[in-house]
Amino acid sequence: MTPPVLATREVGKRFYDNVVLRGVGIEIRPGRVHALLGENGAGKSTLINLLSGVLQPDAGAILVDGQERRGLTPAEARRLGIAVVQQELSLAPHLSVAENIALGAMPRRGGFIDYGQLAHGAGQLCARLGLDVPLDLPVERLPLGQRQLIEIAKALWRRPRVLILDEPTSSLSAHEVRTLFGLVRALRATGVAVLYISHRLNEVLELCDWVTVLKDGVVTADQSLEGSDPKALVRLMVGREAGDLFPPRGTGGEGKLALAAHGLVGESLRGLDLELRYGEVLGLGGLLGQGQEETLRALYGDLPLRGGEIRVDGRTRRAASPGRSADAGIAYVPADRKREALLLPLPIRYNLVLPALRRLATHGLRRRVREAITAASLIREFAIKANDPRDAAQLLSGGNQQKIAIARWLPLSPRVLLLNDPTRGVDVETKREIYARLRRMADDGAAVLLLSSDTLELVHLCDRVAVQRDGRIVAELDRGRLSEEAIVRASLGMAA
Amino acid sequence: MSGLELQLRLLWRRNAGLWSLFTLLAALLVVYAWLHPGLLSIAGVARFTQTWFPVALVALAQTLIMLAGGIDLSIGAMVSLGCVLAATLVGETATAAGLGIAAVVAIGATIGATTGAIVALLRLPAIIVTLAGSFLIAGAALLVMPRPGGSMPDWLSDALAGDRPTALAMLILLLIAWRVLQATPLGHAINAAGDNPQGAFRSGVDVPLARIATYALSGALASFAGVYVAAQTGAGDPVIGMPLTLDSITAAVLGGVGFLGGQGTLRGAIAGSLLLVILINVMFFLGFPPVAQYVAKGLIIVAAMAVRLLRAG
Amino acid sequence: MATALRTHSVGRVLLHRVTLTYLIVALLWVVAGVLKPGFASAGHLRYLLELAAVMGIVAAGQTLVIIAAGIDLSVASVITFSAMMLPLLSPAGDPSGLAGVAATLLLTTAVGTLNGLGIVLLRVHPLILTLATATILQGALILIAGGSAISVNNPAVVFLGNGKLLGWPMTIVTWLVLGSLVTALLHATVLGAWLFAIGTNDRASRLAGVAVGPALVAAYAISGFCAGLGGLLLLGMNRQGYVGIGEPYLLGSIAAVVLGGTSILGGRGSYLGTVAGAVLLVTITALITVVNASAGWRSILFGALILGLLLLSGRDRESR
Repeated sequence: MTPPVLATREVGKRFYDNVVLRGVGIEIRPGRVHALLGENGAGKSTLINLLSGVLQPDAGAILVDGQERRGLTPAEARRLGIAVVQQELSLAPHLSVAENIALGAMPRRGGFIDYGQLAHGAGQLCARLGLDVPLDLPVERLPLGQRQLIEIAKALWRRPRVLILDEPTSSLSAHEVRTLFGLVRALRATGVAVLYISHRLNEVLELCDWVTVLKDGVVTADQSLEGSDPKALVRLMVGREAGDLFPPRGTGGEGKLALAAHGLVGESLRGLDLELRYGEVLGLGGLLGQGQEETLRALYGDLPLRGGEIRVDGRTRRAASPGRSADAGIAYVPADRKREALLLPLPIRYNLVLPALRRLATHGLRRRVREAITAASLIREFAIKANDPRDAAQLLSGGNQQKIAIARWLPLSPRVLLLNDPTRGVDVETKREIYARLRRMADDGAAVLLLSSDTLELVHLCDRVAVQRDGRIVAELDRGRLSEEAIVRASLGMAA
Repeated sequence: MSGLELQLRLLWRRNAGLWSLFTLLAALLVVYAWLHPGLLSIAGVARFTQTWFPVALVALAQTLIMLAGGIDLSIGAMVSLGCVLAATLVGETATAAGLGIAAVVAIGATIGATTGAIVALLRLPAIIVTLAGSFLIAGAALLVMPRPGGSMPDWLSDALAGDRPTALAMLILLLIAWRVLQATPLGHAINAAGDNPQGAFRSGVDVPLARIATYALSGALASFAGVYVAAQTGAGDPVIGMPLTLDSITAAVLGGVGFLGGQGTLRGAIAGSLLLVILINVMFFLGFPPVAQYVAKGLIIVAAMAVRLLRAG
Repeated sequence: MATALRTHSVGRVLLHRVTLTYLIVALLWVVAGVLKPGFASAGHLRYLLELAAVMGIVAAGQTLVIIAAGIDLSVASVITFSAMMLPLLSPAGDPSGLAGVAATLLLTTAVGTLNGLGIVLLRVHPLILTLATATILQGALILIAGGSAISVNNPAVVFLGNGKLLGWPMTIVTWLVLGSLVTALLHATVLGAWLFAIGTNDRASRLAGVAVGPALVAAYAISGFCAGLGGLLLLGMNRQGYVGIGEPYLLGSIAAVVLGGTSILGGRGSYLGTVAGAVLLVTITALITVVNASAGWRSILFGALILGLLLLSGRDRESR
């Protein structure tokens, strides 16, 4: 067997108190298509970032051609022949197909761009990818699938030895997938090493030779794919211990309808239907980027809709904005707490009363004492570890910041709570507290919608789970049918 | 597709969005020529391009920076500085004049590069850095020449702003120079830097360098506009460039350069500046008082932004 | 513990920044008084404060706008506009002159409201929109008022600029009243709290239910009102108005705000600081006049100030 061109040895990576990867070893060999599988948050993206020099490992080593590379940078990785095709596009929308393919690596002759070579090379790559588009077309005019192919062409332009494909087929048509597979096989034949990340198991089984499965930052399988069956692979990805993290579920009688969405069409939403009842915790699951965040933003009134309607307490909502929603008792906890929730340089106390400022004031005049009392009671109730409520919020740990992002809505006693992955990057103890809090709010009659990338909390915390895929709800699993396997299968588009 | 064909097609494609602007321009030119038949002679063209040339230069300067995703509020001050420097440095003989002009342009480029470095390397908001820069540069202009004065050689004024269409020729030369620059990796990097800075950076494009280059080029263009204004008026004036900052933004917006960078062409900017100048001239011939142009300019920029917003949906 | 220490020291520096500005003012007065007799006389200091009043009033609106991470470049034109429009807006049958004052202030507040609406609805950068407004006003002014200097005989305006109330010059009384109102607005009302939030992070503010659009429109409207009031005071003090009377207040109002410790990037600041900044600025300008420094140096000084303070607050932001 040929020696690995790119490998990791016992690498570990943590973000603050959150361990993402532990002792991970992976060997990427020339002439082999290597699959990387794992659930959301298993550490796949972090591993790719380590392999391409975007992040540095805390422990272990990255090896290129058997040699340890310390402090690998993206530029260096590129020079060593490692090319990554990321999910988020790195194309310049107004530039042409040809210019994008050669971006950052323009062929030149005597200080000028060599258009002859550019046209020749880019044309050849497009032909290999089955892309029949004029080279001079600005890429913004191409459909998403073809842009994805340009992204791949861009990686191939530099003649990589290692090609890392992160969900390359997510927006391709069946025909385009076939062409891409042909190309990957041809590359394999010429000795290129391919690392293939995909949620589509059937693709992996068809195309790949070897598989590494990650679960919670640990390798759970590293084996040949010959003769594997998909159910066994899913089992390797799931199956974590729930322990005593989750509060017992309430009796959960059928509450009244709080929010109902019908046929929502907008950014990433393609005819979404969803019903949320008072007294329940409804989970919203699925693979990353299937429009779940947009669902929450639409319900909160932060996303312009092109179609469909939202009913609040049975009445159709006309004008929508976050301010109106907040006034109507709908609260939203964004995923990116540093950019979308907290005002980091401002005091903790201020952050805790921001949404309720108007409610606490009389005739627009702030009542400082009332604000201070409110903030103090929230700090106590949520056990927020703050030295002084006048400190800037940025001094708090991630977990405490997240508590603020949730706690600040409480003075408004929201009837509907929309949460966007509230436990991501949060320590275990805080997770436990957040779970208990959400359950208590539902027991008190609030409607809780929990978007989560953690299958475990969907299974053990929620009363019901809706699985979103491609801008629609594709499965609703009630308590009797809730299991990690069922959610993962529905997410992958397999029959339940 | 051959290399030449690709190059020609890219050229065509970049102009494609501008046809409506060009048509509007042609129509306005006809109206203007009808109102002012004197336009249709060599001297008429020469005189008309002279009023247009400084605006076109600052529009180019602004467009370059906007292409790479920035903005420059110090362009007007830079024109003033170029103007007073020219009236001080440019000598009587041809050699002395050449050296003087070169010195003025070099100073402009250096100041521009410094601004660019502050914006690109320290990652400070361009809009405020260049606002501060405009005070600094305007102050420097006032130090060089507290009140209008100095002189330009008569032969130079005659050559640049006389009865020959020198301005038009220089404009065409500049466009050709830009085409040449576009065929280099730097020109390409300037476009990519404004279009998707993160993606370009990740693809190995030197985004900060591209940004600094645009500010340096823009400084050179603006200071040359100052030299030209000095030649036109025959003297230096430390505040003459003031209204050109807004003019440059208006022309660039009219020519289709977005505030978010990446879109638009220098040809568009030149067309935008021409549109602006003709509109004002036509207003003049229709009997509007000269100050009405201020109102018109302000309204034009607001309207242009509104149209842009409507089009983006 | 170490982190907690840091915020307290940050708080101290902030507090210092304002007290420091006041200390510099006091120091300048003492030194100038020693070097040039008459500078520190009560009469001259009161004159400086009266000059600072106009600057401080104009900078009050600017403070609100800058705290919300905006900027208002139309203040100079609004001042001129206000001064030149007053005679046209004063009805003949009103001996008190109050109707003209009210109409003028209403008009400038409307200009500010339009600024805010344009910024919020058209999503144009405030710098560009207010620059456009300034240009439009310049032209409109000459078209309407004809560009020649005017003299004032509106009794209300003359009283505002020259009158006394209980022995205090009206300019300073007006400043005190407006200053208290703006301070109260910033620190005791929901609107003020929202402006800080918007200046810190407008997206997060919006998601927290803050009415970002209305708050911004209000800030620009108040800035229009303040500039209009400043114009009337100036008119009353000079007893005449001319095109360009507002010019020094464009740079001045911004410089006063940033000198007073308000971050030019928004989200942080106080009006008390701006007051110190305005007094400092007027003092420096007076000193420049004393030592005969030119307009060029003044402009360079302003530019260097803004750049220097931007470098300071920019560094602040990155270290977070």
